[in-house]
Amino acid sequence: MHEVKRRYVIPGDKIVEGNFRPLMNVIRSGNALVATRIGIAETGRDGVKVIPLSGVYIPRVNDLVIGKIIDHSSLSWEVDINSCFSAHLPAQDVFGRDFSSARDDMTKHFAIGDMITARIIAFDRTRDPMLTVQDRDLGKIPRGELLRISATRVPRLIGKRGSMIQTIEQATQTRVLIGQNGIVVVTGRLPEGVNLAVRAIRMVEEEAHTANLTQRIKGLLNVPDTTTPPPQDRGSLVAEASKPGEIESTIDEVEEELEVEGEK
Amino acid sequence: MTQTRNLIDENGKRTDGRGVDGLRPVKITVGSVKNADGSAFIEFGKNKILVAVYGPREVHPKHMALPDRCVLRCRYHMSPFSTDTRKNPAPSRREVEISKVMREALEPALMLQDYPRAAIDVFVEVLQSDGGSRCAGITAASVALADAGISMHDLVASCAAGKVDDKIVLDINDQEDKEGQADMPVAYMPRLEQVTLLQLDGRLEPEQFNECLEKAIDGSKMVYEIQKQALMQKYFGNETELKEEVP
Amino acid sequence: MSSSKRSTIIIEHLRKQQMWDALSRGKRLDGRDFSEIRQLELETDVIKKANGSARVKLGDTEVIAGVKVGTGEPFEGLENKGALIVSAEVLPTASPYIEPGPPDEEVVELARVVDRGVRESEMIDLAKLVLVPGKIVYTIFVDCSVLNADGNLFDATSYATVAALLTSKLPIFEMQDQKVVDTGETQPMPTTSMPVSVTAARIGDYVLMDPNAEEEACMDSRITITTIDEGFCATQKGYTGSFTPDQIKMAAEAATIKGKEIRARLKGLVANNG
Repeated sequence: MHEVKRRYVIPGDKIVEGNFRPLMNVIRSGNALVATRIGIAETGRDGVKVIPLSGVYIPRVNDLVIGKIIDHSSLSWEVDINSCFSAHLPAQDVFGRDFSSARDDMTKHFAIGDMITARIIAFDRTRDPMLTVQDRDLGKIPRGELLRISATRVPRLIGKRGSMIQTIEQATQTRVLIGQNGIVVVTGRLPEGVNLAVRAIRMVEEEAHTANLTQRIKGLLNVPDTTTPPPQDRGSLVAEASKPGEIESTIDEVEEELEVEGEK
Repeated sequence: MTQTRNLIDENGKRTDGRGVDGLRPVKITVGSVKNADGSAFIEFGKNKILVAVYGPREVHPKHMALPDRCVLRCRYHMSPFSTDTRKNPAPSRREVEISKVMREALEPALMLQDYPRAAIDVFVEVLQSDGGSRCAGITAASVALADAGISMHDLVASCAAGKVDDKIVLDINDQEDKEGQADMPVAYMPRLEQVTLLQLDGRLEPEQFNECLEKAIDGSKMVYEIQKQALMQKYFGNETELKEEVP
Repeated sequence: MSSSKRSTIIIEHLRKQQMWDALSRGKRLDGRDFSEIRQLELETDVIKKANGSARVKLGDTEVIAGVKVGTGEPFEGLENKGALIVSAEVLPTASPYIEPGPPDEEVVELARVVDRGVRESEMIDLAKLVLVPGKIVYTIFVDCSVLNADGNLFDATSYATVAALLTSKLPIFEMQDQKVVDTGETQPMPTTSMPVSVTAARIGDYVLMDPNAEEEACMDSRITITTIDEGFCATQKGYTGSFTPDQIKMAAEAATIKGKEIRARLKGLVANNG
């Protein structure tokens, strides 16, 4: 187990001095590595990063997002992805290359107000994000309970290889769709299960940065603490961080280390 | 400004009981505006100022967007009931100027190149004013920007110093502002040790200028500690340190 | 000139489905009954520089009202009464959809409806506030700033205005040598009744009191009814839909009953602050 030092930081805080690599939300200033956002600073072998605890969702290519159709032109739908930019879903993505606005009615497919799961296929400094729904399990979401959480808490809600969200799903008999942009949709047959899942999700959002969270979630759900769900293939529905392991695994490693400490 | 009466008594006490180096009580609450991306409410002496930050968000109208960086928009506005005599809600020239110097005080701290084609809006609402409202506004704005998760090089802390009864004093209040001899508001980035706002209104002798500047910077450093504590309190509660891991 | 606008807030179809499901079971999305209002918080004397002030939180909607009293010319046609005017601003802090600038038609309507409720209730005896008949009277400005908007700005602004006026200290002016002089003394604001505004939104056939922002984004029409002990003093139908006459009569009856309840609560909250 490698040594990782962690601290709470605000922007401008010096994290450490020396020859470390600045990773996320960290800049080098002279001999010091400095935080640029509020969050948990981690200094490890591969570098220094700050896991942010606040901030609007900034789109990344390959992210799975849940968006709302808010308008359409003759060539594409405009989609609100809860970010600083509106995204576009080209009509061709749905109707194919020989799409014709005279023949294919866009509103019959996606109407204003519809919620969709989509993947970001293009985004850079010069243009708005572009989406696709051409993957397994993408497209219109027909039903479910909608909630918004801070995008910075999504990795914690998913957990290492999906462990946190699976714990919640299994205990409440629900299916939870999570967009990297902080939009979450919960479906389940029993309203009590859905309500409990929503409470668990809210608890994760509020306490994402604290220790022993998994234990407390399991307590809320009445799940014995010893069970760990086996990693499952969730297909494209799991919103993995686009750089796998970098964000979610570090917070979960903290958790596991702290829990192991507690048991001793 | 020429002074007409004593604002500091024989014991060195000012009109509100402070000594020459005293800072008025400052209290900052983070995150009270639910709809905003970040917010802070500051009580600085009798100033009561609410700052809300929205951003990064889309720029409207679109042609105002910049291709390589974020647009920062700052509005300093006083509610009609915030001053001694009722203030007309339409923007005054003073509010326009203060909006500009506030934006220019905050911009150096923000990493605006991280958000091209977007905008960050900072709305500073003065609910009650009491001398030094622009300093209080910048202080709260900086906290609100951090609360919104905007990438920043440093916080910006702000405090004024001035001349009253021929003495250089820290953090002048409303009466000292109106009746004193000079007012110098300063904004300062504590880690980078850079001044981002400096104004002077009044007369200072050559030696007094440096003394006044130093005093205002000292005041800004004191204010910075309060900003830091307010942010740590909101995000990390009573814990200030994570447990260190040992393999 | 007033023109139709596209809706700023587009409510997700999933939320609308959830809302209809809940309404058919007699509940709203936040768990309230149709005639239940949100948590009401009130704090008075929050702005010391004002003659009176109040901060109201109705759910997450937050408004501060400040009262400033001075002297000036009376309104035309009301030469023997003090001048009172209620103004409002929805600050750009209040929601992502507000742009800074002069008040738009919605904010002007908000101020005027609250003003009407205060004026027509005659809660302040303006005839007592005259210094030189026809020439110099007391001027009472109530300015409201909406800090955070989550629906039903009408009621929140009205409660803040009324609480601020009830707890204001009126400076006592005198004429000396034909000049207005502030004697430096104050007296409590001469108030009589207490108008209470109750707003409801119609969604389909359901009429919901104290709508939040999400419900307002789904509503067909809205009605604000202001009552006093002796009856009604102001009403405003808002938004682009309609009501049947029966729905209006039921809303009026509900506003009277609810108005009594809220009046008692406001009186209690004002007393707690004193």
